[in-house]
Amino acid sequence: MTLGNRWRLLTLGLVLAAAALWTAPAGAWLFDAVTPVAHEVRNLFWKAVGITAFFFILAEGILLVAVLKFRAKPGRAPAKWHENLRLELVWTAIPALAMVILSGPAFSTMKYMETIPKSDVQIEVVGHQWFWEYRYPKYGVVFANEPLVLPVGKTIAANVTSIDVIHSWFVPPFGIKMDANPGRINHVWFQVEKVGKYEGQCAELCGVLHGQMFITVNVVTSEEFDRWIEQKKKGV
Amino acid sequence: MEAGTLARPVPHHEAAAHVTKPRTGILKWLLTTDHKLIGVMYIWLSFFFFSVAGIFAMVMRAQLMAPGLHILHPEIYNQIMSLHGTFMVFFFTIPIMAGIANYVVPIQIGARDMAFPRVNAVSFWMLIPAGTFMLVSLFLKGGSAAAGWTSYPPLTDRQFSPGAGMDFWILGLHLAGASSILGGINFVVTILNLRAPGMRLFKMPMFCWNVLITQLIVVFATPVLAGALTMLLTDRMFGTGFFHPPAGGDPVLYQHLFWFYSHPAVYIMVLPGMGMVSQILPAFSGKHLFGYKGMVLATAGIGIIGYMVWGHHMFATGIDFRLRQFFSFASMVIAVPTGIKIWSWLATIWGGSLRFKTPMLFAVGFIALFIIGGITGVWLALVPFDVQVHDTYFVVAHLHYVLFGGSLMSIMAGIYYWFPKISGKLYNEFWGKVHFWLTFIGMNLTFMPMHMMGMLGMPRRIYTYRPEFAIWNHIASFGAAVLLVGMTIFVLNMLLHLWRGKPAPKDPWDHSDETRTLEWTVTSPPPPENFHTLPAIR
Repeated sequence: MTLGNRWRLLTLGLVLAAAALWTAPAGAWLFDAVTPVAHEVRNLFWKAVGITAFFFILAEGILLVAVLKFRAKPGRAPAKWHENLRLELVWTAIPALAMVILSGPAFSTMKYMETIPKSDVQIEVVGHQWFWEYRYPKYGVVFANEPLVLPVGKTIAANVTSIDVIHSWFVPPFGIKMDANPGRINHVWFQVEKVGKYEGQCAELCGVLHGQMFITVNVVTSEEFDRWIEQKKKGV
Repeated sequence: MEAGTLARPVPHHEAAAHVTKPRTGILKWLLTTDHKLIGVMYIWLSFFFFSVAGIFAMVMRAQLMAPGLHILHPEIYNQIMSLHGTFMVFFFTIPIMAGIANYVVPIQIGARDMAFPRVNAVSFWMLIPAGTFMLVSLFLKGGSAAAGWTSYPPLTDRQFSPGAGMDFWILGLHLAGASSILGGINFVVTILNLRAPGMRLFKMPMFCWNVLITQLIVVFATPVLAGALTMLLTDRMFGTGFFHPPAGGDPVLYQHLFWFYSHPAVYIMVLPGMGMVSQILPAFSGKHLFGYKGMVLATAGIGIIGYMVWGHHMFATGIDFRLRQFFSFASMVIAVPTGIKIWSWLATIWGGSLRFKTPMLFAVGFIALFIIGGITGVWLALVPFDVQVHDTYFVVAHLHYVLFGGSLMSIMAGIYYWFPKISGKLYNEFWGKVHFWLTFIGMNLTFMPMHMMGMLGMPRRIYTYRPEFAIWNHIASFGAAVLLVGMTIFVLNMLLHLWRGKPAPKDPWDHSDETRTLEWTVTSPPPPENFHTLPAIR
């Protein structure tokens, strides 16, 4: 094996290793999805991967082949051409078309996220340095620094704001991140499909303990939720 | 455009007087208006800040090596994280691009110096107090600014950041911005007016085009940052309420103003590097740059569309649906001119006779990594996906593929390429290649796992994290150590050969006739005023 071949093998190995790092543990690195919005986001993600993978493989592939194939050798002169209008138009038009195609599902998913349906439970989320305050206006329940409790399968609408600096309410499996801006109220909705305990945390730098501003959401059955809210109303 | 209509004779300016009585010692550097000496000082200063910011990065990776560590107090972590970003953006990437351009552009267009040599010196010297403000603030009571390189209010209001560190940060950045604006005007005037006879705009080397477009962006965008910083300062100092909700202000306004500058700033940081790559690939392929005019148009396109995409940093702030739609689509569109550049580079090396010297390795590495940053950029333009990973490590990964894989790789390519020209010495190729491979591998080890952390939901700018993110953080910290070894080799290779490298000939890279730009026709380093006679442009 010549030295050149060994380098080629090494390059190829590195590329494969990088590709493996990307794809092998698929699922291990992809966020869980437990709301309709999060499922839509995942679908959109895979569409984007599909469309862009074509360009990724094409570009990195050409680069790799060129690097391996056109190494300087004695007696071979470099090519002289350096223009080709038709080729340039093609590589302008095709990516442009791909972007237009990709914008379709992107905008419809966006519309779906934005359109807030009639809600079963209305909550208010207020960011503080460095904890979250939750309010259930219909039940007159207010508390802070405790897990949020919500019923499974119900449509939840949340108004998100802050009383001091900007925070961001982020629960990855819900497909939700919404900045909590002082002086503004932002709206999000979600519908959790599975009972369980979900973890998130503040996603906008909000001071010294930004890294400790956790979010826990306990999603329970409707009966359990009713029991819990009754207890809360009594101030237990 | 007829040959020579735009090119005017090189004027005699005050720099000429200095040449007749050359200064020596420290005064030679302190009082110089020579674009080459100023360029070299820019490069040294930028690398100083690169080292500081790099050490900050290593300390952060040490803290994040495993969950629950207490190497840094959270307060200190936030300061170091903020200064890492600030230094890398404003005191390394932007000024080193200006430094290399300062050295190379006047020679490439056949000029003796920049149009305003004294202004050029002022631009450089302003950076020293600017950077000192930032560094010194670490030792103040209350420490330095700790609100990220973005410094969003209300966190940066007096109420939440009472220390003087925040004021030092604002003033430092103001100075750096003023330095940028002066430098930008100087570059634009130089390129438009001081080209040698026959050097028509569409004959200029691609690097000069990229610098011209970059500096136009600097001139138009930086004043907006200055405005935002002034408003922040008066909010802090004089009780105005631009960003203060109880006074009728809105913190989101700051984000609009900040990103109106800082998104174009991404192109300020990467376009000159693309220009360098557009010189280096042809030089080591023995082939003309493919699609020169298309490249110029694509660069201009990036420069213009770059102003229309700032809102994609604000998809989670709750701005209007239609605005987000516009910013989303504009951000996708910017992939088209970026793509034109990538395809043209690939067509440049295709069919060439490739010589893998260190600059070429870095240039090829740049393409390989920038493609990844470009593709994750398209994903991030899709609002729903962006909202999912916004302010997580996914964005950190994306921006480092653009700024490390893009800007830094191209800077390294440029430094290796022009090192013999600037220093007059040859560096060691073997260690240059070792540096490349450690950087390329270390970079992927450090930043590829950050995509996974972000997808799993690990927010950025946190000093410690939940255990489920541990595995990816172990890999990233290991990668950072590999990068540190690579950078150490780079520094030693450069310093050792500055001191006792073999002398470099005029053209150490044996350019073919089609790819040789003017700097390779003069001695290494070039004489004062660059040319003894007006260079002939074919």
